[in-house]
Amino acid sequence: MRRNSLAFHLIASAAVWCALVLSVAGWLLSTLVGDMVESNFDARLSVLLEGLVAGSEIGPDGQLEVRPQLGEPRFTQPLSGWYWQIGAPDHPLDRSSSLWDQTLPVPPAPGGRPWTGVATDQAAGPWTGPWTGDVAGPDGQSLRLLVRLITLPDRAAPLLFAIAGDRAEIAAQKRRFDRLLTLALAGLLLVLLAALLLQVRIGLAPLRRIEASLAAIRAGRARRLEGRLPAELEPLALELNALLDHGEALVERARTHVGNLAHGLKTPLAVLHNEAERTEGALAVLVARQVEQMRRLVDHYLARARAVATGSVLGARTEVLPVLRDLARTLERIHIDRHDDGALAIELACPPGLAFRGARQDLEEMLGNLLDNACKWAAHRVSVEAARDAARLLVTIDDDGPGLPAERRAEVLERGRRLDEQVPGSGLGLAIVADIALLYAGRLALEAAPSGGLRVRLDLPAALGT
Amino acid sequence: MRVLVVEDDVDLARQLKECLAEAGYAVDLAADGEEGHYLGDTEPYDAIVLDLGLPVVDGISVLERWRAAGRQMPVLILTARDRWSEKVAGFDAGADDYVAKPFHMAEVLARLRALVRRAAGHASAELACGPVLLDTRSARVTVEGRPVKLTAQEYRLLAYLMHHQDKVVSRTELTEHLYDQDFDRDSNIIEVFVGRLRKKLGADVIQTVRGLGYRAQVQR
Repeated sequence: MRRNSLAFHLIASAAVWCALVLSVAGWLLSTLVGDMVESNFDARLSVLLEGLVAGSEIGPDGQLEVRPQLGEPRFTQPLSGWYWQIGAPDHPLDRSSSLWDQTLPVPPAPGGRPWTGVATDQAAGPWTGPWTGDVAGPDGQSLRLLVRLITLPDRAAPLLFAIAGDRAEIAAQKRRFDRLLTLALAGLLLVLLAALLLQVRIGLAPLRRIEASLAAIRAGRARRLEGRLPAELEPLALELNALLDHGEALVERARTHVGNLAHGLKTPLAVLHNEAERTEGALAVLVARQVEQMRRLVDHYLARARAVATGSVLGARTEVLPVLRDLARTLERIHIDRHDDGALAIELACPPGLAFRGARQDLEEMLGNLLDNACKWAAHRVSVEAARDAARLLVTIDDDGPGLPAERRAEVLERGRRLDEQVPGSGLGLAIVADIALLYAGRLALEAAPSGGLRVRLDLPAALGT
Repeated sequence: MRVLVVEDDVDLARQLKECLAEAGYAVDLAADGEEGHYLGDTEPYDAIVLDLGLPVVDGISVLERWRAAGRQMPVLILTARDRWSEKVAGFDAGADDYVAKPFHMAEVLARLRALVRRAAGHASAELACGPVLLDTRSARVTVEGRPVKLTAQEYRLLAYLMHHQDKVVSRTELTEHLYDQDFDRDSNIIEVFVGRLRKKLGADVIQTVRGLGYRAQVQR
């Protein structure tokens, strides 16, 4: 995918938004779940505290007896992070064996009052708790501490019950959740991106179809954009087709104007030429010479203008065989009595369906000039062979005439050169063929034919498909 | 030989008429397709020179109409539109040859001569009738190798008869083919020229077929 492609922009911007939204959602979830884990932990501490209270009583001797049924073995493992303590923080009456010889660092009661359970400040009254907070434990652990003042039966003064759990458990739960959450969200992001990619590909498929259609038009396989397109692209296709129509109409109009110009110029030239021919004197000679010059220029530039006009038309495609048949039929009649010793035969070998990627008139002009030339020089036979080689159309035209020496073959392709004045023709024929062929990125080559005559090879772009 | 020239350019039409007349043709002119079609359809021409870019009706249509009506006279197309598609269309419409503008008059004359000769069924440019030899290219006549001086009128008459050898040609046909449409058809000028030709060539080449016309034939 290229950086400046529509697909890249769509996917990149959507990916940024997805990542942003998922991050915010992740942060929110993580915070909520973290709070929940903390309150769950607090509730558990509270249940454990109640278990501790239930297991505590004042014996007949007035001493505190604790038989806690907490179901939590870590209260007996030394410095496990799970502790309980009953009584004043500095002189506890009893404590969990996990505390060993340490005490729980119970902070002062709110308002700076001591944890005596006895109201020292009469005005404020006794503080009963509960209080929950974070403290540092004996082994450097971070502890969650729950403190309550409980008045046991048979004892006047309330006792301070404190229970603590290791915060590491909370942190571990949170970490586990965050890890799961991150994985889940990352997975979600990937799935979203994959769906996005698919959607962009499906969504942009019509553009790809247009691209393929345009390529087909350029390659000469199609003339117009066809097929169903989504409503948003329909106007584009219509406009493109209208543009193609317009281009064709312009070329056609230019062609018509050029034709009119040719007709308009050639008749006066003919009149001038004939008049000069029938008149004596220097002026007549001058006029005849200039008219000849003008005729050559008109021929050359009209041929070029017509060829330029067609070379740029998209989607042109011309079948070769009908053109060859038309030309052969016409040329046999043109040359019907220029060959005194027997008729002239034009043999065609061209598979049906073989097509030239270009305008019919240009193909006619090229093949017409080449065949005409071959007919002028041939003794009895002209043979034409057309074939396709990959994307190229190769036409070979052989005559059984006198041929052309190798060193003179390049000369005849030059503009306006006539090798032999005996045979009528402007001499522009081959040069014009070479010009038109060049416009189609084609090539014209002259060789010796096996029969001794001239072989002309024309290499042109073929139109693929049918 | 009578020729119709259908050409809308006044100067070119004049030049063609002068040139063809000098070469011994009787020439009629038509300035548009409509008039050209009418003349070609009603008058017995030996050949027609037809411009393709014509006002009213274009040359190709005129040609197609003649051929559709069974008119078989040879037609030489004169055209500035010398693309191969146009040549193909011209020949397919029934043309016998074409000359692209601008052209040399000599080329038009040569093509026209060849067309007339071919239409009459002669392969060679030289027509022979016994000792008389007529070269259509140089318009020269010899009898037993000896050149004979003929006037333009005499040459035209002899050429027509020799193109249609062994065929009886009526006086009306001769008048129609040797003179343009403005000629006074009732005059007995044909008889005068036949008389002069017999003197110059020897009496046995042109025979009179009583009540029907004349015939060029070798005496046995």
